[in-house]
Amino acid sequence: MMTQTWAIFVDAYRELNSKKLFWITMVLSGLVVALFACVGIDERSPTFLWFHIDFLPIDSTMFSPALLYKLLFLNLGLGVWLTWIATILALISTAPIFPDLIAGGAIETVLSKPISRTRLFLTKYAAGLLFVGLQVGVFTGASFLVIGIRGGAWEPGLFLAVPIVVVFFSYLFAVCAVLGLMTRSTIASLLLTILFWFFLYLLNMADAIFVSFREQTEAEIAMRTAQIERAERGTSRMLVRQREAEQRAENGGEQPGGSLPDGASPGEPAGEGTLAAWTPTAEEIDAANPFIAQMRRDNEQSRDGLAQLEWWSGLMFAIKTPLPKTGETISLLSRTLIDMAELEAAEAAASEEDGGSGRDAPPLMPGQEPPELDREAIAEAGGRGTRDEFQSRSVWWVMGTSLAFEAAVLGFGAWRFSRRDF
Amino acid sequence: MTSSGNDGGAAVASSAAGAAGTGAAAMASRSDYAIDLAHVAKTYRGRKKVRALRGIEMRVHRGEVFGLLGPNGAGKSTLVKILMTVISPSECHGTMLGEQVGRKETLGRVGYLAEHHRFPDYLTGAQVLDFFGAMAKVPGAERKKRIPRLLELVGMKDWANQKIKSYSKGMRQRVGIAQALMNEPDLILLDEPTDGVDPVGRRDIRNLVQHLKDEGKTVFVNSHLLSELEMVCDRVAILVQGVVSKQGTLDELTSDKKRYEIEVAGDAVQAQTAFRAALPGAVGQGEFQPAMEGAAGHAADAPPTSSPLARRVGLHGNLATGEWVEIERNTLRVGTTDPAAIQPILDGLRERGVMIRSVRPMRPSLEDLFMEAVTDPMTGEVLKPGAADGPGGGARHSARGLVDGGGGATGAESAGSSGGEVRP
Repeated sequence: MMTQTWAIFVDAYRELNSKKLFWITMVLSGLVVALFACVGIDERSPTFLWFHIDFLPIDSTMFSPALLYKLLFLNLGLGVWLTWIATILALISTAPIFPDLIAGGAIETVLSKPISRTRLFLTKYAAGLLFVGLQVGVFTGASFLVIGIRGGAWEPGLFLAVPIVVVFFSYLFAVCAVLGLMTRSTIASLLLTILFWFFLYLLNMADAIFVSFREQTEAEIAMRTAQIERAERGTSRMLVRQREAEQRAENGGEQPGGSLPDGASPGEPAGEGTLAAWTPTAEEIDAANPFIAQMRRDNEQSRDGLAQLEWWSGLMFAIKTPLPKTGETISLLSRTLIDMAELEAAEAAASEEDGGSGRDAPPLMPGQEPPELDREAIAEAGGRGTRDEFQSRSVWWVMGTSLAFEAAVLGFGAWRFSRRDF
Repeated sequence: MTSSGNDGGAAVASSAAGAAGTGAAAMASRSDYAIDLAHVAKTYRGRKKVRALRGIEMRVHRGEVFGLLGPNGAGKSTLVKILMTVISPSECHGTMLGEQVGRKETLGRVGYLAEHHRFPDYLTGAQVLDFFGAMAKVPGAERKKRIPRLLELVGMKDWANQKIKSYSKGMRQRVGIAQALMNEPDLILLDEPTDGVDPVGRRDIRNLVQHLKDEGKTVFVNSHLLSELEMVCDRVAILVQGVVSKQGTLDELTSDKKRYEIEVAGDAVQAQTAFRAALPGAVGQGEFQPAMEGAAGHAADAPPTSSPLARRVGLHGNLATGEWVEIERNTLRVGTTDPAAIQPILDGLRERGVMIRSVRPMRPSLEDLFMEAVTDPMTGEVLKPGAADGPGGGARHSARGLVDGGGGATGAESAGSSGGEVRP
């Protein structure tokens, strides 16, 4: 049994070895790693070879070289090169495997050997993953050396990229293999697979957009709620002072029970006297400050929008559940590779360098128009919330359900392959 | 019992109870055959239902070279593919090397050269053998020993490390045969082995087939080249429109068609007059009876080797002793293998001063048998290729009726029990 399996894998390697595209991809991978090694960071700014890139507002005090290289590896090496360009090249290289296998003149000899069709199909499929396995293995190995030598961090976790990218590619290759079996055409199977991948990409984008909008709306509501509280505090304080003044006027200018110290909230013990227990009602506050009512109405509208966004993001989640999650599978690596606390600290430092938000929260007095909500802060909160939401999704949901999809597709392919006449 | 699927042994159902060849005794006797098919049918369902095989009955003895021939579309490749589990049969009762047809494990003892085979261009000849040897579960050490030996056997040793894409058609064919032998099979199925091979290569392949037979292997050859088959095959089967029209040794198939041919000098009219005059007196007890006068409707009474010309001019018939006689130009054919039977005719011709040019004992060639099998005796036309469902089967019925002595069987239901086989 192992003789046949090994033979199929050796044959797959020989086939790869004969393909120019395999070697072109390998050379391009080498170039990407070489470019990667040219990038650096010092106390002044990022560098490329011996040039400083001064317009980028980061330096080694914010981003350690190790963190910079890991981010470069994740976002460019993995996120762009391996999961987009190299994957398309891999699909182009591997798409002919099944149409070639079942081509007239080729399939008869293979099927005449004592191997079950199911095993032949699955082994051939697994051997097809060799392209990506070898490419990612070499790329990751080279990146490991670059990060170790240039960044000073020897990170064995980097090699998790190999299984993760292979699993990611396997979702697409399963679809490509079955389409190749059904259509007998390399071009048709390749184009349909890329179309399917594009659909998954759009779905993921839609999910991310809805989650981001939801998070932004939540942040907006929270900010507006804070503004309402500030306005209520200011208005309440003003009403208390008004009441004090009225009572003083009624008592002939005598202090009724001490004034409200600055900064104390209404309702808090403010000293001895009857005024300490008095708190304006919400209606009184709203009547005194029309902006509060407006902000409450705005919040109500935002909450309605939030409910809709939650429904849509729930729908996206439900649609994505049975389908392969390509983007999220790749993102699994960042969970283990990047220390989120370090990343957030670096981002915060960069943000402050950039001017920072400089937020404080003085009470808003009646007649004082509430300031515009900080859209940048809302967008940041949305981005952070989206990242947290995606990272909170379990590995089982991300990978388990994707592999279940793949198993279903392969099961169908194996069944079709086993029953078909050639 | 209808089979379904292709995977492993599930492809083919075992014989139904009561069907021919069932039971332990029958199975034991079946193991004496390399291939023993009692009823194999295949119907392609699509826009048009095509019954490619209508109930094949065929037996291939162990250690013999068996030739399968038939016109295009007769179902030869379909039958071979069913044996190799490439196609699932609609119905199949039969064994290969004593195991049910469709059992994957059995294929480890079978070698197969597919028609129009295509090996991966990126492999060398040696790598092709290595890969397919491994797929046939031959251990690595054994493969290393066999590859150079087999490449030498097929004359490809010097090309062992060249890529397949640089090979000619004939060289690919040689490598294909070598890969079929990698597992040292008991049964070798060669589908058009001489396709694209030059005359020297054909001779080499014939010698190789003989060599395999000498080693005790069973060789099943599917070929269009009748002369090739005639030279190497012990037994043949002719497949026409999805049924076995004839099968047996060449001697068996031609025993009732052996004849003497007497050729005389002179012009054709004089020769025919002399033949007609010589026959009744020469035969003595009987008289030459012209069977027909050009009417196609009596074709079934014509001699098995009756030529279209002879039939057209109506110069054939029977002697009173039963032998058929046919006159064509300067030649008289007499359906007998007994030289004594023609002596009176020769005496009659000599008495009339006719100069006898030659007297030859003749046997129909494989091509004659083939043409007879694929020709509609009613019309004299070659049967259409394929085996489309419908009344077309009736045409085959006529042909089979001639071959089988008018068994009257038609279609898949009856074809399995006939086939015109002459068994020892």
